[in-house]
Amino acid sequence: MKGIMIELKNVTKYFRVGFFGTKKNAVENLSLSIEEGKVTGFFGPNGAGKSTTIKMIVGLINPSDGGIKINGYDASDYRARLKLGYLPENPSFPRGLKGIEIINYYSKLLDKRINKDEIYDALKLAGIFYAKNIQANKYSKGMTQRLALAVSILGDPEILIFDEPLSGLDPIGRKEFKDIIFKLKERKKTIFFSSHVLADSKELCDSIAVLVNGRLIKNKDVADIEKEAEGYAEKKKDYRLPAEYSTPLEIYLYDLMLKNRKN
Amino acid sequence: MKKILYGTAYSFKEIKNSKIFYSFLIFALILISGSYFVSQTSFINQGRIMVDFSIFAISIFNIFIGIFIGASAVYDDIEKKSIFLTITRPLKRTEYLIGRFLGLAAAIIFSTVIMMLIFYAVLLIMHKFIVPVGYSAGNVKDKFTFYSLPQPLIIQALFIITESIFIASAALLFSLITSKALASIFAILVFFIGNVSGRMNDLIMPVKKIINGKIVIVHQANHILAAIVHFIYTVLPNFSIFNISSEAAYKVNISAGAIFYRIIYGLSYTVLLFVISSLIFAGKDIS
Repeated sequence: MKGIMIELKNVTKYFRVGFFGTKKNAVENLSLSIEEGKVTGFFGPNGAGKSTTIKMIVGLINPSDGGIKINGYDASDYRARLKLGYLPENPSFPRGLKGIEIINYYSKLLDKRINKDEIYDALKLAGIFYAKNIQANKYSKGMTQRLALAVSILGDPEILIFDEPLSGLDPIGRKEFKDIIFKLKERKKTIFFSSHVLADSKELCDSIAVLVNGRLIKNKDVADIEKEAEGYAEKKKDYRLPAEYSTPLEIYLYDLMLKNRKN
Repeated sequence: MKKILYGTAYSFKEIKNSKIFYSFLIFALILISGSYFVSQTSFINQGRIMVDFSIFAISIFNIFIGIFIGASAVYDDIEKKSIFLTITRPLKRTEYLIGRFLGLAAAIIFSTVIMMLIFYAVLLIMHKFIVPVGYSAGNVKDKFTFYSLPQPLIIQALFIITESIFIASAALLFSLITSKALASIFAILVFFIGNVSGRMNDLIMPVKKIINGKIVIVHQANHILAAIVHFIYTVLPNFSIFNISSEAAYKVNISAGAIFYRIIYGLSYTVLLFVISSLIFAGKDIS
């Protein structure tokens, strides 16, 4: 068995809402292990708690209960992020700075020396090298996403965490982004990405975790879930296919989310 | 340390490129240049009017820069989510905050220096309020005189920097616990109260007179009111000590002791507010 890179143990996160500060659970008693060198897809409907979980992993927010370890360090410890790259959902950069200035700054925040060639390689891999001398506030959404990806892969981190990396991209952008993830997969990176697009599941992932209403309802290898999905499809022959789903795996995941969302 | 310095440089660059910074800087420069026309409304003491007007412009616009950029430096980073990529690097939150604050301090110093240089140029052109500081020895033909700003004007610039950084630290603190707009309003209130609290405290002091060789209190303010004013005076910083425009206008030199005490006073408050900000920021959920 490969090493565990990210480990969440009984993690709960609640937020206080309303005038009286009533507790509302965003994530509930979540335990999850991400293995080294694997691509894990984190699926769930909007508001399931995927982004909250990812933000807890990268240390942006603190869990209300439970613990998160990355490479043996607590997620709140800055050393946990020594080998971690993070691509947030809808990234943004300050006004008035060029792409190259931004990535140069982020390269200085790493604990190792990054030379110019490495910066250029990251920009080339992310497909934004051509726009390095343009101010980042003039970038399109796709270009901003690519620059953020270049920042996240800078320094060749072992763990990559992507929060909805494909959202808001056009079909060409999605295809290119997927190709980048494949390249990173070939380099044996540990990738954990969230998505609510089920079509991404089989194509990109080695294993799948499904979160609904803050609770983990499935966490298995793709092959195992595919078997379950085929069995489910045989049993349920009379189902009507939702227009956008074509494979048994997608339908299985869709039904799984739908059922649990109402509970 | 290296990361803090890079953070400072990045933050300074970002602030320097922001529209709000430029707007304040340009506005201040227009007012400083316009001080000449204002001084022409008087037949006497035109130099004094220029100094008063310009120092007021430099002071108020740097305070604005401190308040509005202080309230938005970290708040906007969180709102626009640009902070996500920064603090998910192997960087301590305190390092990020120090870098951000030092960048802001550098921007305040930069704007004050630019404004003072323009002010100096205006005074030089008008040949008012400047003092000759030396000339070259040797041939009489080669003599040239170098003109400097008088000491109190240079010290006033130093105090404006201290005061603006100080109020920026208050705005930064408020922006971590409330919205940007409220943080700016609170910082303005602190600045306003801090400027008048000294005078208010003087007003509530009992009025004493010597009658028949004895000291007699002839008027005393309400005790509760006096206690409230004294409490505000004691707890809130006294910003009026940074205003030496009268001394500057009359070219009265400021003693080294007073300069040292006032700068230490401002820096101590700044450090205290920054430490509180760091503690709040360390435990803050950023989402």
